[in-house]
Amino acid sequence: MLENLDMLGVAVAHFLTFDALLNVAWATLLGIVIGSLPGLTATMGVALLTTLTYHMPQDQAILVLICMYVGAIYGGSRSAILLNIPGTPASAATSLDGYPLALQGKAGYAMGLATTGSAVGTIIGIVCLAVFAPMLAELAFDFGTYEFFWLAVFGVIISGQLTSLADPLKGYIAGFLGLMVAMIGMESVHGHVRFSFGIPEMAGGINLIPAMVGAFGFAEILTVMKRRRAEIVAKSVDSVFPRTRDLWRYKRTIGRSGILGTFIGVIPGVGEDIGAWVSYAAARRASKERDQFGRGSYEGLTAAETGNSAVIPGALIPALTLAVPGSAPAAVLIAAMFIHGIRPGPMIMIETPMFVFQVVAMLLLATLAILVYGLSLTKLLIMVLRIPREKLMPVVYVLCVIGPFAIYQRLFDVYVMVAFGIIGFVLREMKYPMAPLVLGIILGELLDKSLRRGLILTDGDLTPFITRPISMVLWVTTLIVVLMSIPPIKRGVAGGVRRLLRRGEVPP
Amino acid sequence: MNQRSLIRADFITAVVLVTLGLATLYGAWTMDRLEIRRIHPASVPGLVPGGLGLAIAICGALLLIRSVRLGGHRPLSGDGSFVQWLRSIEARRLALATVLCLVYPLLMVGWLPFWLATGLFVFAFIVVFEWLPQDGEAAPSPSRRRAILFWAAVQAALVAAIVSIVFQELFLVRLP
Repeated sequence: MLENLDMLGVAVAHFLTFDALLNVAWATLLGIVIGSLPGLTATMGVALLTTLTYHMPQDQAILVLICMYVGAIYGGSRSAILLNIPGTPASAATSLDGYPLALQGKAGYAMGLATTGSAVGTIIGIVCLAVFAPMLAELAFDFGTYEFFWLAVFGVIISGQLTSLADPLKGYIAGFLGLMVAMIGMESVHGHVRFSFGIPEMAGGINLIPAMVGAFGFAEILTVMKRRRAEIVAKSVDSVFPRTRDLWRYKRTIGRSGILGTFIGVIPGVGEDIGAWVSYAAARRASKERDQFGRGSYEGLTAAETGNSAVIPGALIPALTLAVPGSAPAAVLIAAMFIHGIRPGPMIMIETPMFVFQVVAMLLLATLAILVYGLSLTKLLIMVLRIPREKLMPVVYVLCVIGPFAIYQRLFDVYVMVAFGIIGFVLREMKYPMAPLVLGIILGELLDKSLRRGLILTDGDLTPFITRPISMVLWVTTLIVVLMSIPPIKRGVAGGVRRLLRRGEVPP
Repeated sequence: MNQRSLIRADFITAVVLVTLGLATLYGAWTMDRLEIRRIHPASVPGLVPGGLGLAIAICGALLLIRSVRLGGHRPLSGDGSFVQWLRSIEARRLALATVLCLVYPLLMVGWLPFWLATGLFVFAFIVVFEWLPQDGEAAPSPSRRRAILFWAAVQAALVAAIVSIVFQELFLVRLP
């Protein structure tokens, strides 16, 4: 424990240089701006910025990307409060209470609460990351090919279920399509090229970054250009500094939301929006003033913002220790880590133990930056929201085109971006979630490699896949999740539970 | 997209998914099993794609059954019809954005110098969308149009120059 604290101290000191602090300052501000502009999401911001970090030193590149991630998730609250349009999906729950507060003339106070909620949520997550990541990395040593196979299946299924609660079938389809995309190109067991259709560039597979820039950049541009223009409700703002008594009054809500958000973050491919909704729902259930929720509740706003920000460090726990992302931006971060020569996964605490603590330090610095910007740049950020989309979107699209091209300097990646943009837009219009698709693309190789290697090791025997303890937990959980998404089974189980509860009420 | 259109879209998607799933399954089944390299039969390259093809086909079939039960196989008419949607401002904006965003990377980048392609795209995008009247607004006056053209040209020139210089000189990218 003391050794870990010592490493954390060294990691923080490592970034206390002029260059690093300058990177924190601009990347977090850019993240807040991107997050606050409707249509520009954290995933798109991280994916686009990745294409600009090739020439940066490894640690500075990841620092910049993490600051962008934290800033963008926080920035989404601005447009949620002022426009009633969440800047990123993560802020959808924020708009429920943030916008009514803005209509009541309390936009500044709402933004102040959102800022402190986000900062506290990230800090709760950071503590969990610092404590649990080394432990999970140790546990990950017990993972063999069998466990990794089930982890990939579990990730795609649970992500499909939780990101599309109203229609899990669409979540599963999105996940399977993502896995299918990962099957394109040379496979890693025998080096055989699959589904390349004679196109040489396809033999190398579909790169995650161009696909993400398309699905989250181009698709969002089409969505933004399609819809009506939104008006800002606040022309001026009140005090942005939250009262200590308000924060103290909601201490339980903040703590609960922070822990729930971090937990949601750890679940593969679920992400910030679900973290915010779960925290919001839990706060509403436990609140004494639940009738205020949806009408401008300080507690609801705080819960949503604490919850979505706590997901960020949570999502990085499995990303660092298992190379399984907890959210879509974390998936892009994993790709960026590989580009910069960092190998996330069970070996990370052996090969680069300092890196985990450096990530903790990066998150701390980004949190500090959002606190400073959030409480001081409110008026500037309102001005940013006034930039007309007609002027902004073509610039963003130019970056969507040139960014993927810059990776390998080939037009094929631009065509991949365009294809994924159109597919992503159509799927999103038809209510398919994007997170399982991303997770599928990133976990496809792991699933394929683990299943076939495992079968080679056991000479085709499936028994270890089913009987090993961790495998068993994973496949049983996956099976329960799938069964519970089938309406007749779900109704039957719910009816059975109700009958059991009723029977328990009757005295013997 | 309203509920009826969504059900209809689900029906069409389901047909596409079943076809895609079965085609993948066929592709995986006929994929080289590398017997000549004496690999383990349980590790053939088509194993996982075949399983995924089957999974997609099953999910597509479930979606198909569900959408048929809800009447998704019947063509839309009246309020929810596709033709009616095509006449809306929303559809016009989407169509314009899609065309502009496809023409730029597919027909301009790689065929024209990058700075010129970028400048033309940015200029066209701004002009098209600023000239297009918003909901309930009148079309811009001639003087407003001249201002739009001027500022669009300024922004296009700036974006083309800055992006080209940053990527070419700073990131050492050989622009298309």
